[in-house]
Formats: sequence, C-alpha cells, structure tokens
Amino acid sequence: MKKTYPSSDRLKKNVKKVPGYLLVILWTVFIAVLFGWLILASLSSTKDIFSGTLLASGVKWENYYRALIQNKMLRNLGNSCLYTFSSIILIDVVSCPAAYCLARMKFKLNPVIERLFVVGISIPGIMIIMPMFYMFSKLDLTNSRLSIIFLYTVMSVPYTTYYLLTFFRGVSTSYEEAAYIDGAGPYYTFLKIMLPLVKPAVVTVTIFNFISKWNEYFLALIFASKSELRTLGVGLHQMVQSLLVSGDWAGMFTAVVVAFIPTVVIYAILARQIISGVTEGGVKG
Amino acid sequence: MKQSKGTIAVFLAPAIILFAIVFIYPVVRTVGMSFNEVGNITADSSTWSWTGISNYVDLMNTRLFRISMVNFLKIWIFTGIATLVLALLLATILTSGIIGQKFFRAVIYMPNVISGVAVGYMWLLYVFNADYGLLHSLFLKLGWETAANFQWLSVGGNVFLAMCIAYVFSSVGYYMLMYISGIEKISKDYYESATLDGANGFQKFMNITLPLLKGVIGTSITLWTSRVMGFFALSQIFNSTETTVPMKYVYQLLFGSSDEVTELKVGKAAAAAVVMTVTVTIISMVIKRVIKDENYEI
Repeated sequence: MKKTYPSSDRLKKNVKKVPGYLLVILWTVFIAVLFGWLILASLSSTKDIFSGTLLASGVKWENYYRALIQNKMLRNLGNSCLYTFSSIILIDVVSCPAAYCLARMKFKLNPVIERLFVVGISIPGIMIIMPMFYMFSKLDLTNSRLSIIFLYTVMSVPYTTYYLLTFFRGVSTSYEEAAYIDGAGPYYTFLKIMLPLVKPAVVTVTIFNFISKWNEYFLALIFASKSELRTLGVGLHQMVQSLLVSGDWAGMFTAVVVAFIPTVVIYAILARQIISGVTEGGVKG
Repeated sequence: MKQSKGTIAVFLAPAIILFAIVFIYPVVRTVGMSFNEVGNITADSSTWSWTGISNYVDLMNTRLFRISMVNFLKIWIFTGIATLVLALLLATILTSGIIGQKFFRAVIYMPNVISGVAVGYMWLLYVFNADYGLLHSLFLKLGWETAANFQWLSVGGNVFLAMCIAYVFSSVGYYMLMYISGIEKISKDYYESATLDGANGFQKFMNITLPLLKGVIGTSITLWTSRVMGFFALSQIFNSTETTVPMKYVYQLLFGSSDEVTELKVGKAAAAAVVMTVTVTIISMVIKRVIKDENYEI
C-alpha cells in the first residue's frame, strides 16, 4: 500500500530524521578524519607531525621502508599470514566433518558431544593457556610456529562446528538418500554433495575466523613472543614501545597503518558478506 | 542413513581428540593448580603442594587483583551501557530508511575488523595526544580551551576514561549490527498499525522495538560480559595501574611486568582464572533468568 503524505507531513517526517543523519554523518566524518590523518602522518616526518603541517617537508616513503624492512614488520606480516591462513584452513578441515557427523549421524553420544562443544565455546582462553604452556614446554614447542597454529585452530573448532551444524541440519535428507541409492559412500556424499550445499556458510564462518585470528593478541603474545615469531599485533606493540624511546613518532604511525591496512582492505572488498554474516548468519564477529 | 562406527570415528575423532587436549585437560589442570602451590608454569604436577583455598584467600587480599575486578565491573556496567545504548540508537537510525544506511552501517562496523592493538595506538598516539591530537586541535579550533587542554592520558583518573572511549568506538558496530538484524526481523505490520493509532517514533520504540528485541539484547549482554572479561590489548596499551583488568593481572602473575613489582605465582594465577570464569558464568546465568525469552540464544 502506498501512502501519500501531504507535503507538510512529509517535511515533518524528514525533519525528524535530521538528528539521526547528524549522528551517523558525524561518526563517518570522524572515522574519515582519523584514518585520513593516520595515513598522511605515516608519510610525514616527526617534525611535521608536531608542527601540525603534515607532508610539509615532502612525502616520506622511506617511513615504510623503515617499518617494513628495518623494523621487520614484513616478517611480522608474513607470520600473521602464515598463522592465520594455516589455522583457518585447518579449522574447516576439522570442523566440517564433525559438524556433518553431529548433524546427521545417529549414535548415543551425539547430543552429549554437541553439548560439550557448546560449553567449549564459553570457556575463556585464560583457563587454557597455563596447561597448554606446560604441555608445549614438555614437547619443546614453546616459541614454535606449530604451537600457535595448533592453538588458533583448536580454539575455534567448537564454535565453527556448532555454527556449521545448524546449516547441515537445514539441508533436506533427500540428497543423501538419493546418493545412497546410487551407491555413494559416506565420504563421497559428504565431500561431493553435502559440503557444496553448505558452502556459503563455510565461507562466512571462514571469513570471520580470518578476522579473529588475524587480530588475536593474547595467545600470540604468550606463545609467539620471540622476535622472529611475532605477529603484526605483537610486533606493533613492541615496535611502538621502542620507538617511543627513540622519539620516532612518524615511524609509529607508519607501523599503525601497516597493522590495520590488511584487514581494512579485505573488509572493503568483503564488507557486504561480512555484514550479512553478522545480521543474517548470526556469526560472532 | 546407515553408518558404521568407523565412519563416525573418521568424521568426529579429530575434533573430539583436539577438544579433549585443548579444552577438557587444561580446564581440569587449571582448577587443580588453583588449589596448589605451583613453583612455575612449567612445573610437573608431582611437584605441586596442596594448599587448599589459600590461593583464593591470597588473591582476595591482593590490592591489584581487587582493582582489576573493580575495573572489570566498571567497564562492564558503564562502558557496557554506553556501548549497547549507542548501538541500539544507531541501529534504530540505520533501520529508519535514511539514505545511504548500508554505507553508514559498513563504516560504523569497520573498526571491529581492526586489531585491538592498532585501535588502541590510534587513540593513544593520535586522538588523545596533547600536542597535535584530534580532540586537542578540534576543540582549539572551536575555541573551547578547557576541552582542548583536557589531559586525557594523565594518570589519576582520565586514562581509564580514555581507554573506555576507545573501546566503545571499536566495539559498538558489532552490537549495532546485532540489533539491526533483530529490528529487521520485527514485522512491519506492528509499526504500521501503531502509526495508524497515532503513536510517535519514541512510543513505537518503547512499545514495539524494545520488547521484541528482548532476546537479542539478552544475547548481546552475555556476549558483552565474556568479551569484557577477555579485555586485554587496550589495557596493555593504556598502561597504568588504573587500567589493570583481570586478564592483564593474570598475565603479569605468569610472565612478570616491566613497570611493577609483581611476584610470579602460578597457583594464584590459576585461582584468578577460575574466579574470572565463575564470575562470567554467574552473570550469564542471572541474565538468562532475568530475560526470559524463547528467542534468547547462546
């Protein structure tokens, strides 16, 4: 039904929206100024930053050379990529079959295991780190890339499994029945029929796992604190602490920009999918 | 569909084994450690000595831990109200059919995808800076001297406020999207008939939106609780005793700290972890009890 408002009514309706517009526009301007300034500062000299005249003495691309090469941020970036990509793939490798199994296969312990995973989701990391540190030290795996990838993977298995479970349950059983009649085994059915059907959910949860692993800080600080193992986040913290001593403010802003650019670029590309992941898929962002 | 035990094992065993190693075993061991005197983090359980609840007593008598728990409560309540009310307000605005609402949603959510360390340093090094900072230069331009010279990072009160503001900024977008999703699930019919009955925007919000969002709000508070207990990066960046949170306190007990004399006590750290977990569980259970709603999740 289309309503037509008398013009004064429509005006009133629009006037009421003004405070709302004002708030979201101010918020957006704030974010634009914040990020714009940071990018300009990352290309300025420390002197220009303090005199409030960004870029006055020219564009300092060498700030990036200093941050990435001399201060080893490139290596931190490489570590973050390695930990993040390995773990998000391994999470799917473990969680997809488990979710399918819990959604479809009937056995006595099924509901107990599902319940266990739900409890696992709410166990805070702080309950886990001390025994894991002990275990890794016994295995000589403290300060090793394997231990951080292992932890990143397993910490996300309960949630990812639980998330995918509901999507596998939503698929009609007629697909599997048809496959079974055609003589397909359970592995073929899972890989070639069921997995493609829940692919959108797998993609969504993988994107969110990517963001949370990329930004993870606490475990990285504890299990990958050695300088050659550091992630971008841990590296950024260490770097800013030492640049504060040497007074290289431009270098700090370059480091901050290097740390946030990767996720902001990925977000710019995948914003639609990420936002609908939260609003429709109910992902914990 | 029929399946053999072997098939089930192939599908489920990796997840179960990993779960046992990373969740069940550590939780049991951490609880055990909390009742023992443990030499250091790599000590075998054979070297522990049973001390009953003395770690817990010691913990409650430690000033820094009490500060950190009070800070947890302050962040949980005050920053929580600020974040969730702002998120609800933004969600209401961005579902009211204004032009460009998809764009605004995307922009406001963006800080959520940036690491806490980067967000923390943006605010610490730029926004709150007293020489060239965003707030300083903005208020200076507006001619508001008192606001321009406000010492955000001064120790003695303001640094905690500064940290909380940065936290609101970085987390509001997520709760906003949660509420948007809840609001969009409410049938338009309710609003239309309310409009016909002459209800204004505020009345519609109070009588339709808020009651029907009860479940979503409950979920958001539970999520907020566990996240605030896991709050760490910003506390390490806005580094001072006043910004100590439980996670940071435990970290210092385990690995020491550069700026304060902290004794390394593993059993006490385990006791703190147990106290934190129990606190979050109790709060979540109370919220679940208070907000009785069939749409309540998690």
